[in-house]
Amino acid sequence: MSGIAVVDVLVDLLDPSTLAGIFLGAFSKSALYVMIASGLSLIFGLMGVLNFAHGSLTMLGAYLGGAVMVVLVSGGTGGPTRLLLFFVAIAATFALLTLLGGAIEVTLIRPLYDRAPLFQILLTFGVVLVLDELVRIAVELYGLQPRTDWQAAFGTAPDFLAEWYTVAGVTTRGLYLFEGLLGVLAVVAIWAFLTRTRYGLYIRAGSEDPEMTRALGVDVRRAFTVVFGVGAGLAGVAGVVLMWDPRFGASVPLGVETLLVAFVVVIIGGLGSFRGTVAAAGIVGLTDAFATWLFVNDHVAFAGLPEMVSFVVLVGVLIVRPQGLFGVAEVGGH
Amino acid sequence: MAFLAVYPVLYATLVRTPLGREFDVILPGADVMVTVLYVGLFAISFDFISGYTGYLSFGHSLFYGTGAYLVVLAATEKLPLLGADTPFMLLLLLAGVVAVVIALAVGVVSFRLSGVYFAMITLGFAEVAHVFIRNWDRVSGNPRDGASVGGGVDAFAVGVPGVDALQIELGRLVRDSLGTVPGLGVELDAAAGSYYGVGLMVLLSYLCMQRIIHSPFGRVMIAVRENEERARAVGYDVYKFKLVAFAISGFFAGVAGALFAGYRRSVAPVNTFDLFVTADALLASIVGGLGTLAGPLYGYLFTASVEGVLTTESDGIARYLRDALGEGTLATEVGGVSVAELINVFVDGRADLYLGIVFILFVLYVPRGILGTLRDRLGGHVADRLPDRVRARIRGWRK
Repeated sequence: MSGIAVVDVLVDLLDPSTLAGIFLGAFSKSALYVMIASGLSLIFGLMGVLNFAHGSLTMLGAYLGGAVMVVLVSGGTGGPTRLLLFFVAIAATFALLTLLGGAIEVTLIRPLYDRAPLFQILLTFGVVLVLDELVRIAVELYGLQPRTDWQAAFGTAPDFLAEWYTVAGVTTRGLYLFEGLLGVLAVVAIWAFLTRTRYGLYIRAGSEDPEMTRALGVDVRRAFTVVFGVGAGLAGVAGVVLMWDPRFGASVPLGVETLLVAFVVVIIGGLGSFRGTVAAAGIVGLTDAFATWLFVNDHVAFAGLPEMVSFVVLVGVLIVRPQGLFGVAEVGGH
Repeated sequence: MAFLAVYPVLYATLVRTPLGREFDVILPGADVMVTVLYVGLFAISFDFISGYTGYLSFGHSLFYGTGAYLVVLAATEKLPLLGADTPFMLLLLLAGVVAVVIALAVGVVSFRLSGVYFAMITLGFAEVAHVFIRNWDRVSGNPRDGASVGGGVDAFAVGVPGVDALQIELGRLVRDSLGTVPGLGVELDAAAGSYYGVGLMVLLSYLCMQRIIHSPFGRVMIAVRENEERARAVGYDVYKFKLVAFAISGFFAGVAGALFAGYRRSVAPVNTFDLFVTADALLASIVGGLGTLAGPLYGYLFTASVEGVLTTESDGIARYLRDALGEGTLATEVGGVSVAELINVFVDGRADLYLGIVFILFVLYVPRGILGTLRDRLGGHVADRLPDRVRARIRGWRK
């Protein structure tokens, strides 16, 4: 990029509607990233388990959300009912994945707590292989997708998600606004969970000092199961939204895609710190939106830029602050 | 290892027997065995760093991909100074050296972190490279699909550069026969020739790594794995040891990638820089035994065999079942689904599902892997102990 090009970019960038557009894009992306990453952050915060299957749970959530909508919504269902059913789909997915997450913790992860943390990473990686393949089997068995988009589920979206709105001089999809709102809602809900509930207290105590928490008589076993379940449920909720987002859509590779995003966000923020996760989601969302804008407006010809930039931020942050923005060095002792 | 040396002959013999079809289904073919060798080498190099120092290198595909792309880019005249006529042995070496340079750059940053953070930052670097290679238009017109060498370039040859008599050409579909083995006069077909060519390089690399593991340097690596603080307290510059070990591991991963590209003559982001390529090495290491250098090779042999049996190709078990079971059996309904459909859905090309389950079971119940567990049982290296055991057992029978 030559000197003149930089000036061009700056002139273009300082246009108020451009800035508004970038910030609006950043808002919806950050909200998505918070939803994808917060479950991972909670699980690591309490248990020190890095759940590699998190992305696959998100992917499963996308399919489940779609399936619930396809079952409940018919051609004659009106707009408001659809919106209501959308929330039903979110709640149902959250419930199902919470159960699945709890079951995974009890059957597979529980036997590994007294082994090196490495084995938890390895085991959840095995869960990825199995979950992905099971979803592939289901998709094939029910003939869901010839290609990446699942048309039957696409048609069931509530009207306002599919329509376009103009906010601050920028035209945007209703879905993106909804994602932003849902993200804010999720942050508030998790914050309330952390500060107002017993399990929130356990998580906060556990991420400060796991051994002391146990010594004080907290039933860590059950807390682990609950938190793993809730974390998995949150991953599922994020998936339901992604199902209708044209930038993602339901597909098996969605698992790895969201997993990597979740890792980047959680690690930039500092493993185990929810505040860090929110801040990092904001940073990654903003750089992502900016890079997308650079590419879409032909300022940079490299198509991989938006995808690459979040990893560059990750590497940059880790070079300067190895423990992440809000992380404590060596969380979980490994 | 001796088993691997005679395998192609054994396979060719068994397939010609009356039970040939069955053997063909169960045993991995020569083509698959070449894959076992180079991916096995990659898995060994992964185990070299992850199994012996305890630092999980989750971005190991970065080095493998670098080696593979270097070969293809050189052969298609896309690199400065390296023409299509560059000897393959030189390319192998260069692939290793470039991988070392990258490993040092990545390692300098990554080894400031440990545990989960180390795994994640190496994954981060590999993903940057993955995204880059998928979009780098110099590779080919459509970088997402990768690039191939094409027919204009001669087959890559492993051997002593400049001495034509000592060359084994890696020929996958390049030419039918590769001439005779120097000195023996035995005819080799393309697949067997490649098998021995690649095998030679893998064996050499394995011996090098084994030598290092058993040297004082290797002792320090294991000390780092067991207790890093203590190793530091004893006076070792742990950071430098880790960095050098990572570079060595990167070197052989690069060589493995170059062998892959030399044999397949094409590369794509999916089979080089992808996270699931690292996953293959991880799977092989866990099944074979993390921290046993030869284990990952056997681990990958297992993986590839399962994949071979469950493949959708004609020598897979799905085709075999469809041919062997009669029309009547296939149409039988089990809970509303016909047997044919069950085979399609649960057998045909479903290796990942069963491998995933095997992987989980190994992590839970056989954490030392096949070779590690064998060593524990035998109380020493398998190659040292097994003959003694067998001899003792035979003597026991005689009495």
